[in-house]
Amino acid sequence: MITVTINVNGEKRTASVPPETSLLRMLRDNLNLTGAKLGCDVGDCGACTVIVDGKTVNSCLMLAAQADGRTVLTIEGLATADRLHPLQKSFENYGSLQCGFCGPGVLMSAKALLDENPSPTVPDIRDALGGNLCRCTGYTKMIEAIQVAARAMRGEPAEKTA
Amino acid sequence: MEKKTDVAPKATPLETLQEADQILRVPALAPLVTYPLEVLVPEARQQTPAVGQRATRADGRLHGLGQTKYIDDWYFPGMLYAKIKRAGVASARIKSIDTKEAEAMPGVVAVITGKDIPCNSFGPSLKDQPVLADTRVFHAGDGVAAVAAVTEQIAAEALDKIKVEYEVLTPVLDPLESLKLETPGVHAPNANIYGHKVIKKGDVEKAFAESYQVFEGSFRTQMVEHVPLEPHATIAMWDPNGRVSIYSTLGRITLGRADVARTLGIPMSRIRMIATIVGGNFGGKNEITTEPALALLSKKTGRPVKCTFTRPEEFYASTTRHPLIMDYKTGVTKEGKILGRKIRLVLDGGAYCSWSETTLGKACILSAGPYNIENLYAEAFVVYTNKTMTGAMRGFGAPQVCFAYESHMDDIAIALNIDPLDIRLLNAFEEGSLSPTGQKLQSVVVKESLLQAAQRFGWNTNGNGKGNGAKS
Repeated sequence: MITVTINVNGEKRTASVPPETSLLRMLRDNLNLTGAKLGCDVGDCGACTVIVDGKTVNSCLMLAAQADGRTVLTIEGLATADRLHPLQKSFENYGSLQCGFCGPGVLMSAKALLDENPSPTVPDIRDALGGNLCRCTGYTKMIEAIQVAARAMRGEPAEKTA
Repeated sequence: MEKKTDVAPKATPLETLQEADQILRVPALAPLVTYPLEVLVPEARQQTPAVGQRATRADGRLHGLGQTKYIDDWYFPGMLYAKIKRAGVASARIKSIDTKEAEAMPGVVAVITGKDIPCNSFGPSLKDQPVLADTRVFHAGDGVAAVAAVTEQIAAEALDKIKVEYEVLTPVLDPLESLKLETPGVHAPNANIYGHKVIKKGDVEKAFAESYQVFEGSFRTQMVEHVPLEPHATIAMWDPNGRVSIYSTLGRITLGRADVARTLGIPMSRIRMIATIVGGNFGGKNEITTEPALALLSKKTGRPVKCTFTRPEEFYASTTRHPLIMDYKTGVTKEGKILGRKIRLVLDGGAYCSWSETTLGKACILSAGPYNIENLYAEAFVVYTNKTMTGAMRGFGAPQVCFAYESHMDDIAIALNIDPLDIRLLNAFEEGSLSPTGQKLQSVVVKESLLQAAQRFGWNTNGNGKGNGAKS
């Protein structure tokens, strides 16, 4: 067993895990953060996407020990105690999630994109969602919602795109 | 980097909290309504006011917050993790299963095989599927043993310790081969053809004789997996009083309850099926998979048992879409009017029936297409092969035949030098047309839809048989 300490969603948390434990397993099983999902366990589907030190990571491919001492943001840390993140708001309003299983990963990818690039073009958004698979809704409504959220975060009116 | 994690300032004024309460509300309960409801019924062929409205999902907010609990997000005290040993061989006789070494592993709590299952067969229509194969393996994804251990990893390691001795048999893999009477039965002594349907209308041979030209085409589709993002997952908890609670990703819990009752040999009243939000179904979660095995593992261990399919298991151990072999023969006039059509469909049913009967019926009924055809002979067979079982999937056979009849129509249009749009307008259903099975159709807007679509995307109806492709 090894001891791993991560700063997750602004809180320092420690868990003792077997060395082969992935970051995803640690988040889900040890820290009870079940927002990130296990879809394929091989880094294809992106349902397990979290943000580690500002970069998106397939947490099923990262060992928990590799995250030791780093800052991790999961879907549970996206909304603040009193407000939804603009992305969560627009995803809800635009019906961008159907079964919702891919949602936490997609939202984290979108969040990392908007942190780096507040005015992404549609190709930028497509690139950012390149590692996230959705099987129900499709990507059109997600792209639409990300554009709306980006506008809201820039302080512009969030009118519907053509 | 620290700034990337947005954490709320601790002190918040009352107004903000009130607003937050509003914003972060869980989906509100709908106001109570008294019956009878006054429902606005739109006139036939009129668009309902609902079209074009934006609606938000009741669970949309929880999805976005990551708060939706799928089966794999549940945990119960003392819960064990189960894994299923898959056969990995398409057709075989099981000579022996040795689980001793696996059972002796530290951390392994229980192992069961097909022999432990009171009634080892289930299925939505034909009861031809074993929960765990005990004497025969019918496809590579068949489970032969189930292990419950304290961690998923130990359970996975235990699978390698289970020794199964097979007498490998020659598998039947080609549906056309399976169709032949001399081919050995997959489920011998039962025949390989386990479903058959014929739709007959008018006289096709006479129509072909009167036709200007008769066209033939053969089309095939492949096997398709549903690939829900959420793999199949189940948690079973056996009560000491002989009742079992099953949390499952199952879409049809009432049917599943009947199947579990049958396989476990206990009354349905002792089974509680709990369905939560499903992370994608698409027809792939319409029947039980490992639920009875997990219930027995839970009974044996006295602890809750969870099993989540791995992604590879999703592909080879759950149902898929039927591959179809579709032979079309159509007689037409010089103008492209269809006089007669003869169709033969062969559905590859895989190892088990599952929802094949529904698929067979729907594929056959829809195989002629949305066209007025006076003389029709459509015949469909579904056969067993030693492949992953095929079952329900969005459309139940309709997408496969649509690909065939529309491709066939295009081939005919090109050969006759008619615009592909015109040949469809000439033959398409109208208000009051009769379907191949004699149903009088209402609210038919095939032609209007075609014309509107053609206009919207600028289809060039220049009558040269190439449609828009000829526009240079």
